[in-house]
Parts: sequence; C-alpha cells; structure tokens
Amino acid sequence: MSLLEDILISDNPSIWHDFGGTSPGYAGITWQMMIWSIITGLLVFIWMGYNLIMFKHKEGDPEHKDALKAGVFPHERGSPKIEIAWTVAPLILVIWLTYISLAPLDYLWDVPDEDETDLVVDVVASQWTWTFTLPDDYVIPEDFTNCGKFNETGVRQQNERTTYDCIEIPHGGIIRFNIYAEDVLHAFYIVEIGVKQDAVPGIETLAWIDTSDVKPGLYSIYCTEYCGDEHSMMLADVYITED
Amino acid sequence: MKGASLKILSVGFLISILVAISAFPTSNGFPTGITDPTTSTVEANGCNCHNPDPTTSVIVELTLPENFTAGEIYTLTFNISGGPNDAPSGENLGGFFIKASHGVLEPLENDTLVQKPFGENHLTHTTEGNDYREWNFTWTAPESDDVIVTFSAYGNSVNGADGNQGDYWNSATFSLMGVNAVAVADGEHGLSTPQKLIYGFTIIAVTLGVVIIGNRMVTKEQSFEEVLKDYWKYLYPWLTTTDHKYIGILYIVTGFAWFFIAGILGMIIRWQLFEPRLDGDFLTYQEYNSTFTMHGTTMIFMAAMPIIFGFANYLIPLQIGCRDLAFPRLNAMSYWLLPTGGIVIYMGYFTGGAGDVGWTGYVPYATDASATKPGTDFWVAGQIMLGASSTLTAINFLTTILRMRAPGVSFMRMPLFTWSIFVTVFLLLLAIPVFAVALILLMADRTFGTLYFSGSCAGDLMGTTACSDPILWQHLFWYFGHPEVYIVILPAFGVLSEIISTFSRRPIFGYTSMVYAMTTIGVISFVVYGHHMFTTGADPLFRFIVMLTTMLVAVPTGIKIFNWLATMTGGSIVTKTPMIFALGTVITFTIGGITGIILASIPLDIAFHDTYFVVAHFHYVLVGGTLFAFLGGVYYWFPKMTGKMMNETLGLIHFAFSFIFFNAAFYPMHNVGISGMPRRYATYDPALTEMNQFISVAAFIFGFAQLIFVYNVYYSYKYGEEAGDDPWDGWSLEWATSSPPPHNSFTEIPTLKSAEEAE
Repeated sequence: MSLLEDILISDNPSIWHDFGGTSPGYAGITWQMMIWSIITGLLVFIWMGYNLIMFKHKEGDPEHKDALKAGVFPHERGSPKIEIAWTVAPLILVIWLTYISLAPLDYLWDVPDEDETDLVVDVVASQWTWTFTLPDDYVIPEDFTNCGKFNETGVRQQNERTTYDCIEIPHGGIIRFNIYAEDVLHAFYIVEIGVKQDAVPGIETLAWIDTSDVKPGLYSIYCTEYCGDEHSMMLADVYITED
Repeated sequence: MKGASLKILSVGFLISILVAISAFPTSNGFPTGITDPTTSTVEANGCNCHNPDPTTSVIVELTLPENFTAGEIYTLTFNISGGPNDAPSGENLGGFFIKASHGVLEPLENDTLVQKPFGENHLTHTTEGNDYREWNFTWTAPESDDVIVTFSAYGNSVNGADGNQGDYWNSATFSLMGVNAVAVADGEHGLSTPQKLIYGFTIIAVTLGVVIIGNRMVTKEQSFEEVLKDYWKYLYPWLTTTDHKYIGILYIVTGFAWFFIAGILGMIIRWQLFEPRLDGDFLTYQEYNSTFTMHGTTMIFMAAMPIIFGFANYLIPLQIGCRDLAFPRLNAMSYWLLPTGGIVIYMGYFTGGAGDVGWTGYVPYATDASATKPGTDFWVAGQIMLGASSTLTAINFLTTILRMRAPGVSFMRMPLFTWSIFVTVFLLLLAIPVFAVALILLMADRTFGTLYFSGSCAGDLMGTTACSDPILWQHLFWYFGHPEVYIVILPAFGVLSEIISTFSRRPIFGYTSMVYAMTTIGVISFVVYGHHMFTTGADPLFRFIVMLTTMLVAVPTGIKIFNWLATMTGGSIVTKTPMIFALGTVITFTIGGITGIILASIPLDIAFHDTYFVVAHFHYVLVGGTLFAFLGGVYYWFPKMTGKMMNETLGLIHFAFSFIFFNAAFYPMHNVGISGMPRRYATYDPALTEMNQFISVAAFIFGFAQLIFVYNVYYSYKYGEEAGDDPWDGWSLEWATSSPPPHNSFTEIPTLKSAEEAE
C-alpha cells in the first residue's frame, strides 16, 4: 500500500505546506496549479470519452455531406465564436497563474543585505564537496557540535569555522548564503525547504532562508546541476539548531 | 576567371581563419583550489589541498606479503619517495592516507605517528607523523581469504616550507590476494559495462549474419560470392537512391534503429536506478553519465528528428502533389550525414568512455578536463554533423513547399502535416545554426584552449574578474534547445491532426485556427528559452518575461487540443489503431502540457528544476507526444508506403502495453521529483527505492513491448492484407496516388479540388 500512497501523495513539505525559507506561499500556488490541472485534464478526458461514446462509427451509417474524399480539400468546419472562447479562456487562466506566481517571487528575490541578516554563510561548491565558511565575527555557540570533529572518545567537538558537507545554523534568524563555484556548475538545493540556486564559476549567487519559519532539525543539501562523476554523491547536511 | 577568383577567395578564408585562431585568448592552467583535507575530498580528489593534480614523480609504495590467510595480522609499511627535495629526514616532509577494501587497518600500539580518526576506517598521519616519509601499521585480514583486497593509498611529498606550494602528491592502488582467491583472467579487466554490451551485441550480429548467409549458401546451393552479390543487388538501390520515398523510409528505419539503441541505454539507466547502487556496482558513475548523455542525445537528434524527417520526406511531395523534393541529391547527403554523425558520436565508447556532458553539454564541465576525452570531442563533432544534416534538410523542405505545390494546393489548403513541417523548417533554420556556432566555440575551448566558456581566468579563484562566461553557453544552447523541442512536437501535432480528422470522417475543426496556432507556437518558441535558466541567477525581469511567454504557449496548444476534440464531436469515429494511438497521445500530451505550465511558474520551477519532475514532464511530451503520435503515423501511413495493411490485433496489443506501462513508468517520476530526487543521479536516497523499482519494472515492460511493434511491421510487410489506394478514406493528395506510389510518385501531377468544385 505504501507504494500506492507514494504515487498518490507526494510529501515534500516545501511544496505542499506554507513553509519557511524562501517559499512562503508555495502551497497557495501548488494548490491552485493542482486544481486547475485537474479541471483542464478532466475537461479533455471527459470530452474525449463523451465523443467516443456518442459519435462512434456504426456499420451502415449514412455518408455525411462533409465526409472526406481523396484529392478534395474538404469544407471548412469551425465556429469563430467557440474558437475565440477557447482562446480567451486559457489566456485568462495563464495570466492568472502568472499573477499568482509573482507574490512568492517578491519575497524570494528580495534578498536581504548583509547587514539585515543574522548570519552570512560562504558556500563554496567544488567537485564534489560543499565547503561552508562562517564569518570571522560570528561566535559559534558551544553546543553546536553536529558538524564538529570527533575527539578520541568519539564525542563530537564544537563546530569549526569551516566545515565540509555539513553546516549548522541557528534557528530563528535570517541566513544568507553567498554561493561560489570553484570549477564547474553546481546547484545548491535544500530539498525540504525548496531553496535552489546555481553555483556559477566567476559569479557570486545568493540564496537565503528565514529559519524561524522552519522546524529545527536536519535537512539535506543536494547538488542539482550535473557536475561530473560524483554528482550524485555531492550531498551535505544542514542542521537548524535552537540556540 | 571563375576558378581564379575562387582560389583567391579560399586563400582569403584560410588567412582569416588562421588570424582568428591565433587571436584566441589562451589559458595558462586551472586555478589552484585550496581547501583543508577531509576524508571525502581525499577520496574524491586526492590531496588537492596541496596541488590540484597528482604528480608521477612521487612514488607511493606499500610493502605487502605475497598473499594473506584469513584472520591473520600483518604489519605493513607505507613509503613515499620522489617529490620536492627528496630528503630522508627533517620537518614537515609528508603525509599519507590509506584505506583497505577488506579487513581492518590499525595503528601499531603506542605509535604516535599514525592515527585512525574516530568513526572512520582509514589511517592517516598525525601532526607528529608529518616529519616522516615512512609509516608502519597493522592490517587484520578479513574472515574469508578467497577475495582480493584493494588498498587505496595517497602519499604527499612536502617540501617543509610554509604553505602548500611546491608540494606534490600521488596515489596508487595495491591488490593483495587471499590464499584461496582465484585470479581474475586478465582479459576481463579494462572492459567497461557498455563496452561489454556493445561487444556482446556485435558478436550476436556477426553470428546472425554468418547463420543467415550460411543458411542461404546451404539451402540455395550458392557460393559465398553469389549470396553477397544477391544481397548487394538488394542493397545497392538503397545506398545510392535520391528518391524521396526511399530516403524517407531510410530515415524512418534509421530513426527507429537508433531509437532501439537509445531505448536499450534507457533500460540500462533504469537497471542502474533499480536500487541505490554504489560506484561500480553495475555501472561506474562515469559510465552512468555517458549512458544518460548518449540516451538523451540519441533520442532527440538521432531518433525523434530522423523519424520526423523521414515522414516529411515521404509525405511532403505526396501531400503537395509533386514528384520529388526540390534537391534530391542534397536530400541523400543530409540522410547520409545522419548515420555517419551518429557513429562519430558513439565512437566515444571505443576510446575510453562516450561523452558524459549530458545532452545539454553545460559548460564549464564540457570544457573541463574531467569530461571524457576524446569521448566528448566525438560528441561535439558528431553533433555538428547532425546539425548540418538538419539544416540541409530544412532548406530542401522549405524550397519544395514554397515552389512545388500542385495546382489547387494553395497555402491555406495544404494538409496540416505539411503545414507543421513548414513551420518546423523555420525553427530549424533559425535555431540549428546558433547551436552549430556554440558547438564550434565549445570545440575551440576544448581543443585550442580558448576561453569562451571556461569559467574564470587562470589563477582567478573567486571570479572578481571573470574572463569568460559559463552562462553564455546556456543562452546559446537554449536559444536553440527550446525551439528544438517544438521542432519535434509540431510535426506530431500535424500527424495527430491528419489522423483525428480522417478517423472522425470529418474535416478538421477550425483549419485556419490550427494553422495560426502552429505559427504562433513557432514564433513564441524563440522567446521562452529563459525558462530553463530560472535558477542561474539571471535578471529578474528576464525571468519574469519568459515566465509569461512560456505560459502563453498554453493558449495555442490548448486551441489545438480543443480543435481535435471538436473534430471528433459530431463525427463518425472509427477506432482503428492509428486513431487509438492518436487519442492516447492527446491524453499523455495533455498531461505533459499541464506539467509544463507548472514548471513555467518560477517559484515552483525553483523547487522542481533539475529533479525527476522535469524528467517526467519531458518524457510525457517527447514519448507521450512525439513518439506515440509517430507510432500512430506508422500505423496510418504504412499501407501507403508498402501497400499492405498493418495487423490490427497486434497494433492494439502494442498500444495497450505501451500506453499502460508508459504511464506506469513515467507518472511516478513526478512524485519522485517532488520528493527531491535530482535528475542525472546515479544513486539516490534509499527511501525512494520502492518507487524507483516500480518505475524500472514498468520501463522494462514498456521497452520490451516495442518488440511487438517490430514484429507487427515485419509480419504485416510479409503477410498483411492488400491496402488499396485510400484505405482510411483520407482526403489529402497522398491518398490520390497508388500504394505504394509509382516511381515518380504521381503518374500525372494531380489537382486538388475544392469541396464546391467536387460537388
């Protein structure tokens, strides 16, 4: 049953719920898209089914006056009124869908300046590692140990300023990621938060999240731009921890 | 006179090319990355903290026993020599890293030079151990001694100076056999999985050839030469033809042949993804990357486009009532560039790995040294050949449609398939040359060391002064790439319009609006390409505009779908195989179109970009749209091409299997994508294993179901019923000639009558 459930329901919190980070209002668009998709799909499928039932060819049907003949361009069929109707209706629908896509963008693209943020993390993507560096003036809380090294007794020590494939950030603040690529294209994707930003060599790109909208816990970072052999192993953890 | 001026012209060209080449900016090398070493970076990149590339002058050695016995403890010695000022002692001389595939590595007791980090199973030096170039440690052999153990060792030769400059490193692997291990025959080494498959298929093909020829020699009592002569007699017209009907069939057959090859690659991808595999469990990651690159490239350029060109080749002259295309020899040349270009692309498999840059060939990975070489160069070269082939074909179709229409075939009386090709031709002529230019620049970057796309200048790490632009490739590629997907979908619209109208026994509803809808899609297709780049950080205004234009594509596409449905309403629907395929296509294409709108919305695209949601979307459009429509097209026009009807029962079974298992394979990909699985991943989160297994099984059945189609074509060609000139009661001019058409297509040039004249 779980397979069927998986196929019917896809649970990625970043898409289905009004979720934090850069995706408030995803849920709004997702539901609208979902509803309009179902309406459009059903319209096509039901109309086709109706046609197949009502207008199926039966043996002995009389030859229609519009029937096709080889070498003869048939009568033009059509009705301008209906055709205009199904031009204008989709036009209004897609303009509406474009319009509702704008609200989250206002938020998404309004990247806070460095002085408006609580923490700026430098993210360097290279084949095939994520390197996170915290600013020099940031005091790493003592209980932030999820990315720390092990000591001899196997206990994690406090995080260092630079961590690999792992980053721990405080809950309840605006975090900005300055993203660089060292070699080829990569993409920074926090799966459950719905943040995705390409890392481009030679260009600094930005992403940000407001961690007060997100539950504390462990989230995954994937590389989503093809970058070579170990592309699918270029993963990282992001811990959002309460101070 | 003419010859002389040509000579001067060509010398001028040569000189300007030479000047251009010498004026290219060249690179001095790749920027040095400096990061602290960690386990995963060492394993992925070696000691690139000290130097990006290994140096062969550093010799890494590991003293090993001859073989090992289970459970025994051995003391091993690791040694490096060579590298900077080869000193036997001093401070800060080197470091090491070693890992064993089996057994347990441990430092010697009370040894302060070697450490085993907690939670890891490799050994490395301690800070104190930095001053040496030789380290000792123990290795406990595994419980079974019938395996071969591999030690991966990295040695770093350090010059003792501050900083990392002048340090060199190298790596080596060592094998140690258990006493009961059976040595693997040498021949099995070095053959990659795809190579094994290719060799396997070659052996099967050669054996089949021998069997067929031998069978003929025995049963007909012919000599080898006579048998070959017979075959040659049969082959010769196909190899030398300039007849549009022969070339059309060649295109279609070649297209389907590449389709099956790429289909096998697709199934290899699905087998790799059957469960989350590690590097080398089935394919190595590099082989996997080559596999999806070849799958995508082959399907788009060598399967979809040739099948379309084949139908266009065959049908355009018949539909507009002329004897052949305008330039028959050019037509033959465009055809022959296709199999040759395809072979060039596949050459990579025989030179150590086919191109592994994805069908999009994104830079700077494609210009980077880590992309397969020369596999990727073959990929670029072959693509240029295929581009030339498409451009020449486009010119041929354009001229033919503009100049050679029969009396009565005015523009607004052309069949919709011809119209769709007419629109496609403009897309080809405006898009392909851009791609060709981009490919040539890419080739220059790869081979001459130019810096069009490479990323950043030499020594420039964080890119404050970028010398070249990796995003430029994406602009050039998608300026071509997006019209390209309309190049493969518009002709499918044409086929659907023909089939649905014929089998509803009524003229198409809204012929004029269909034509305008196609033209509008053609125009819009050039201003939407930015939707592939929503996450690159491009200008927000640019992204907003392409979001709007992308959404607008839904309007003309919707018109087409509604017109098809309205054509059926009030008609008299005959549900034969071509119509069933066409209706199936309308369903799957509608789903693909809807997910297209979802992806056009920037916020949702940011979540879905480069995940399996996108994979699901474009397979719904390309397989559920293009392929299904053209399979319907084969069932529809096969009687015209061969004079034989295709078997209905086999056709319906083929449809049922294809439709059900296509949806079973590709629908769940939406969900996998929403769960966050990125595309082009060779392995994945184990939580998604069940879904991926379901997809793989469905994909295998979908793949094997296509064999029913092959059998149906063969069976119907041999034993099918006679078709007659117009078996489906179609109206366009191809149904006014015999099946198959005579040598010159029409015994006399026909005139297309209007319905009023015919009454």
